[in-house]
Amino acid sequence: MSNVTPLDNLVCAFVETALNKLHQLDSSAKQKRKALDGTIIGVALKEIDKPLYFVISQQQIDILGQYEGQADCFIRLNFLALIDLQDNHQLTNLIKSGQLEVNGDIKVVQQFALLLTEMDIDWEDHLSNKVGDLVAHKLVYHIKQLNKQFCKQHNKAQKQLTEIITEELKLAPGPLEVAHFCDQVSDIEKQIQALEQKFLEVKL
Amino acid sequence: MSEIQENTTHFGFKTVEEDKKVELVAEVFHSVAAKYDVMNDVLSLGIHRIWKRFTIDCSGIRKGQKALDLAGGTGDLTAKFSRIVGKTGQVVLADINDSMLKVGRSKLRDLGLEGNIEYVQANAEELPFPDNYFDLVTIAFGLRNVTDKDKALASIYRVLKPGGRLLVLEFSKPIYKPVSKFYDFYSFNILPKLGKLIANDSESYQYLAESIRMHPNQETLKEMMNDVGFEGTEFFNLSAGIVALHRGYKY
Repeated sequence: MSNVTPLDNLVCAFVETALNKLHQLDSSAKQKRKALDGTIIGVALKEIDKPLYFVISQQQIDILGQYEGQADCFIRLNFLALIDLQDNHQLTNLIKSGQLEVNGDIKVVQQFALLLTEMDIDWEDHLSNKVGDLVAHKLVYHIKQLNKQFCKQHNKAQKQLTEIITEELKLAPGPLEVAHFCDQVSDIEKQIQALEQKFLEVKL
Repeated sequence: MSEIQENTTHFGFKTVEEDKKVELVAEVFHSVAAKYDVMNDVLSLGIHRIWKRFTIDCSGIRKGQKALDLAGGTGDLTAKFSRIVGKTGQVVLADINDSMLKVGRSKLRDLGLEGNIEYVQANAEELPFPDNYFDLVTIAFGLRNVTDKDKALASIYRVLKPGGRLLVLEFSKPIYKPVSKFYDFYSFNILPKLGKLIANDSESYQYLAESIRMHPNQETLKEMMNDVGFEGTEFFNLSAGIVALHRGYKY
């Protein structure tokens, strides 16, 4: 019996072709691949549980639907965690919350996430080859502005949400409260140390 | 007066002397080599890439292994194997036709692949490799052209390591009648015309269509593999049986 179907192969083909196309446009991709040259990483979305195996080489990335050897690293994650993978600092949080399971070296996972998400693509330059400098510049400028607006709104929304949770609903302590609490803990620590000192002196 | 000539075989729908077949096949592939990849994409609408991916997924190929891409031609499978087996592995691209081998070598070099690939001109019936040498042997769209298929299968069995496997990817018999009808029409009416248009060679593509029909069907090929010693042999029908992947193990 075969674990893969031609449909799985079609999916692999799409993802592989898209990824490699993006990498061709990304000037930093080759360096990132070099760091992972010869590594095989298995990735399975918990929701689908059909693994994809990424074979990293200096030339490109190959994606297999099946690999009978031992992958250098195997990752299982929730679909939503894919978005958070962009931020390397989130990795440990994701693992703690159980959204991401790693079987292997976490450094490999970090490098792999960077390989997939951090693309240094000069879109304006590539576009200008197709539509000319002026149009390319205007297009990229407007898209960048839109992106800025979107990020601004997103940050605003997050800030509002945080404020609602801490100030209005009082579900979690606000930063000042946490700081005050930490100060109180430090005070108690100091008092304990002073007591210990006195105790030793008395003993002697 | 001989009624039936001894030592004849089929070349498409024609009957030819056995020793002549090799030359005739050679002519076909010298002729198609330059446009081979383009024609594959056009004639199969790119689907041959999926068939090949399926083959690689079923191959069990791993880092550090030794693979033989027999009748590998322009090196589609070799390229992927090379990247998967890595620096510690080895891939041999073998083909009986040196025009195809030249195209393959040039293509693989352009892709930046070099270190672990060896190029060998060889006849599948008499493989120039030691016994028990390869972890994997693949022959994609090549067995059809071999004069003595049983000899080739036996030769492959010899060079495989115990625990190794053979994958035969080849045109086969469609499993549904309507597909058969459309396929016949496509093969005999459209294929040679496309061949003429793109590669300026309709005869080679006529041979393609005919040789497919002369090739053993799924069950027969499975029996042939078992006869030379392969075990656990099974086949997978792809594209409704237009193509089949046979897989057998040497234990």
